[in-house]
Amino acid sequence: MLNINYPKIEKKEYPNLELNIVEPIHKLNLRGKNRDFFTKAGRILSIMLPTEPNTSATIKNISALWLSPDEWMIYGKDIDKNLMLSLDTEISKLNLGSVTDISDQWVLINMKGKNVFEVLSKGSPFDFNKFKNTKNVVVQTLLNHVDVILHHNDRNNIDLFVRKSFSEHLWLWINDSSSFL
Amino acid sequence: MFIITCPFCGERDQSEFSAGGEAHIVRPKQPTELSDDEWADFLFMRKNIKGVQFERWNHAHGCRKWFNVIRDTSNDKIHAVYKMGEKPPVK
Repeated sequence: MLNINYPKIEKKEYPNLELNIVEPIHKLNLRGKNRDFFTKAGRILSIMLPTEPNTSATIKNISALWLSPDEWMIYGKDIDKNLMLSLDTEISKLNLGSVTDISDQWVLINMKGKNVFEVLSKGSPFDFNKFKNTKNVVVQTLLNHVDVILHHNDRNNIDLFVRKSFSEHLWLWINDSSSFL
Repeated sequence: MFIITCPFCGERDQSEFSAGGEAHIVRPKQPTELSDDEWADFLFMRKNIKGVQFERWNHAHGCRKWFNVIRDTSNDKIHAVYKMGEKPPVK
């Protein structure tokens, strides 16, 4: 049976690295292509969805992450039921695009500190050299063979999204890797 | 291991991608008029040559988009990458 509780993740600290679970937090998946979709989404969220690959846009406590040319992840503390209802009625029900609540599909782990990229580089095929010097960039890649979405929202501060079923495993791996720093 | 330039995300390691086989195989317009052998040929028979080959790839662990790659299977050198629906840049 599905365990509805989040994995047992407690704040951990290592040399120049701090790990924390940021849950519960609302996450939405938006998909669409046409101009009306962009206009409606931008107006409701007060954010222009980023169209440049591997980038993000953040206003107040809502971030929009580019996932593919017609797909974005929206997450943040300011997403409430009214906003989700507006997206549903003005985008999904008018067939302009799709809006899916993925809050329980992904778990958000925050990693911050100078050693963030040391740990990520241990288990990812992605080249972090450019990524670590650029803010508001996004990458979907593998970490210890697990799909992750990484949002570099501030210098040495990463929001890592991992599917819930993999989250405990990845958390243990991150902790194990961090213990060798 | 080699690097593939996803037309949407940029340069990524091959481990993020999955190969989708030979590209530009046209579905027969009237499948019901084909013999079993011709239908099997369309479904299953692929060239798998040693040399330059036109392939489909999927950025499975990234943007999840399909695209085409012209790759030399003998040395994994990639000659071109282009989006679905586009014409190959070289023949």
